Amino acid sequence: MTTTEPRPSIRTELLESRPVNLDGFVEEWPEKGLVAMESDFDPAPSIRVEDGRVVELDGRARADFDFMDTFIANHAIDVASAEASMAIPSAQIARMLIDPGVSRGEVLAVTRGLTPAKVLDVVKLMNVVEIMQGMQKMRARRTPANQGHSTSARDNPIQVAADAAEGALRGFAELETTLGVLRYAPLVAIALQVGAQVGRSGVLTQCALEEATELELGMRGITAYAETISIYGTESVFVDGDDTPWSKAFLASAYASRGIKMRFTSGTGSEVQMGNAEGKSMLYLEIRCILMAKGAGVQGLQNGSISCIGVPGAVPGGIRAVAAENLVASMVDLECASGNDQSFSHSSMRRTARLMPQLLPGTDFVCSGYSAVPNADNMFAGSNFDTEDYDDWNTIQRDLQVDGGLRHVREPEILQARNTAARALQALFAHLDLPAISDEEVEAATYADSSNDYPLRDVLADLKGAQSVMERGITGLDLVRGLETTGFHDVAQSLLNVLRQRVSGDLLQTSAVLTPDFTPLSAINDVNDYAGPGTGYRLAGERWEELKKLRHVTSATNPETEVG
Amino acid sequence: MTAATTASDRTVTLREVGPAGRGTRPDEVVVAVSPAFAGHFTKTIVDVPHVEVLRQVLAGIEEQGVTARIIRVFDTADLAAIAHGGAKLSGSGIAVGMLSRGTTMIHQKDLPRLSNLELFPQSPLLDAPVFRMIGSNAAQYAKGESPQPVPTRNDQMARPRWQAKAALLHLKEFECIQAGRPAVEVEPVFGRVGSRPLA
Amino acid sequence: MQRGACHSGASLRGPTESEPALSASPPPELTTADYPLSINRPELLHTPSGKPITALTMDAVVSGELSAEDLRIAPETLQLQAQLADASGRPQLAANFRRAAEMTAIPDAEVLAMYNALRPRASTAAQLAELADRLERAYSAPVCAALVREAAEVYARRDLLARPTADVG
Repeated sequence: MTTTEPRPSIRTELLESRPVNLDGFVEEWPEKGLVAMESDFDPAPSIRVEDGRVVELDGRARADFDFMDTFIANHAIDVASAEASMAIPSAQIARMLIDPGVSRGEVLAVTRGLTPAKVLDVVKLMNVVEIMQGMQKMRARRTPANQGHSTSARDNPIQVAADAAEGALRGFAELETTLGVLRYAPLVAIALQVGAQVGRSGVLTQCALEEATELELGMRGITAYAETISIYGTESVFVDGDDTPWSKAFLASAYASRGIKMRFTSGTGSEVQMGNAEGKSMLYLEIRCILMAKGAGVQGLQNGSISCIGVPGAVPGGIRAVAAENLVASMVDLECASGNDQSFSHSSMRRTARLMPQLLPGTDFVCSGYSAVPNADNMFAGSNFDTEDYDDWNTIQRDLQVDGGLRHVREPEILQARNTAARALQALFAHLDLPAISDEEVEAATYADSSNDYPLRDVLADLKGAQSVMERGITGLDLVRGLETTGFHDVAQSLLNVLRQRVSGDLLQTSAVLTPDFTPLSAINDVNDYAGPGTGYRLAGERWEELKKLRHVTSATNPETEVG
Repeated sequence: MTAATTASDRTVTLREVGPAGRGTRPDEVVVAVSPAFAGHFTKTIVDVPHVEVLRQVLAGIEEQGVTARIIRVFDTADLAAIAHGGAKLSGSGIAVGMLSRGTTMIHQKDLPRLSNLELFPQSPLLDAPVFRMIGSNAAQYAKGESPQPVPTRNDQMARPRWQAKAALLHLKEFECIQAGRPAVEVEPVFGRVGSRPLA
Repeated sequence: MQRGACHSGASLRGPTESEPALSASPPPELTTADYPLSINRPELLHTPSGKPITALTMDAVVSGELSAEDLRIAPETLQLQAQLADASGRPQLAANFRRAAEMTAIPDAEVLAMYNALRPRASTAAQLAELADRLERAYSAPVCAALVREAAEVYARRDLLARPTADVG
């Protein structure tokens, strides 16, 4: 060294400029719960049952239970099998999870009697590959699926309809929207519903709002399901959220009483983010949420840290914990909509690596959801993947021969779907006497990428229209009638078929989705029967042929041309 | 980043001058800061020095011809409680509440605690010009005017970069809470680091 | 809100309304092979107003024969789905469907009000007791009432009841 002044090497400068170094990383602080899943402050597993009642749970006597302990003890744990299940060594349960010779049902017979600390003890033994093996078998629905977001930075309903149509065509089984200006909700929710049915009949839609309005849109049949019903792992944070396990359980039944599919939402990191983790690890608290959801009798859960992903993402082993929380939801027999739904990293490598534990084994919904609009238009504050990543996603599915729920669609089909969605919405708005959609807007929707590519709407007129939807009591049935009488028969019929499902209740069962021919597909009639190599869901046949297609594939017959 | 004297050379300490009382001047804005502000912590989540934060907020208030009074809260690190508590002590009923990491709120004494006039929840996006505008807007509310809200920014990549650090800072600020200790009025003492020459 | 529609739906069930939903005729014993009911057992599915699910056609929509009330789930259907949940080893899901079956009779606005009453520190012990009684008496909803009574007990122990004199805002 002859230089007089220390300076960074050229390589260090290069590394410093890599996107991953824009991400935030912090040290663990287990005393405060800033730790993923390995903490000395988490309780040791224990259970005691007397007279058919749990009287001790993870080292705590019933008199000292907080309300999470109480709810889990009263509703989630199967008292008949609990003591026997708890006596099984954790290592043996972990082995059952990955052993193809042990069926999903045999695992469930054990997990239904486990306490939160015991579940943690089991998954702590598993590395990410074992977690994926477990997920492959424990996922409730045999066929994996995906969910998309269709939102607009300007809350433009035409954009939401066109992007929902394209997203549905590309393969999302569920589509979710939310708003910048909440009062826009009725128009945007209608647009989402119409666009989704144009793209692929039977796609289910939801609009994330505060509880009361979300339920009302559902009751009216303007949306088909709900998922933004948040729960938390400590009593104090749960109360800060102005709810209890009992209020949320009541709400779960309220949705079912109207025939509406619903799942709860939780995730690692939310409690420490809100400053009240009570010194417990993120995963331990999330397992409490999962068992609370189980006890409430909801069919499923959206988890995988969700909006707090920056917290587990910043601590050692955090993404392993996130993979583990998805597995725990599946191993207690809940539908799992597995995150990958919020901006996570500046690094594309890290974004992709974070996805692997869900994409490779498959989950009920790999993303919850994938941004089917450019991230700048994503009103959930950005997703881990957006429209720019469509071709990468399709290529990864083809490379690894895994089904992430999407497919490549040729341009003419996409343009047609977008155009039809915009025209159907145009006709429906006119029929319902809502603010007009111009031909110029329909044209823009056909070819647009982002909200910047559309003419500006008269926002005040739209908001008045949105209010009138609520005041006039417009329901899903009015949408069906409007679409039918304006000549959009297929869209009308699809929407009617989706609405009819609430009369049958079939979509209330675990992991239910609707196929394009309106067959409900759930964990009852599409049981995950994975039993080792060559069994379970395999990407093969027609679906595999579909996923072999990409934007540019050189023809083997005539290498001077491309197929696709 | 330049060689010239910068904001980072300046320092501030908050000298206690007595219990925080109710103000009588209708033309004052209270600036209420959290337990660790300009004490245990010296800068926001994105390294804006607290001295700069205070200078800008105070300048924004003063440029509207309104006076500012600073109080420090000890018994809570909840921004709404800090800002609303400050508003109740303010002669005009208007206060700016601030957490160490930079999260800021303009509050008014007659509003419910969980409401506010303006909230700036994304601490990583708050820089000196924004703090000045916040001060200016607070002063305008104090004069009974209805200023345009300070434009809020949004950055989708703030989560991966700052969410965990924000949680950590939140936990640390909580540790500085002194339960039951009443708020005090403080006086900012501005200085410069070491022997660097004054600009 | 559909308060009126809801009441008319309930009254159509006539004399059986005050009794547990399926006491009149024994329910069919379903197995998981009956799922999905919309395809395998459509003859079991009716709207709350008594129309068979097959009556929900486009013609009926366009002619105005159908109202929003016809697109609601009937309590009997929720009991059938509860059987399926039990048959597939999901007792908690089944219990949720049974609470839901009871709730079909409660108007939308009141369901929301009851939910709000269960939020932390929203109700006194007496108010929760009253709510449980109302569920039982007005809506023949013993399973829901039990959930509310359990909540009341826990809220009392965890200081989550409203103070009787508190000004709850």
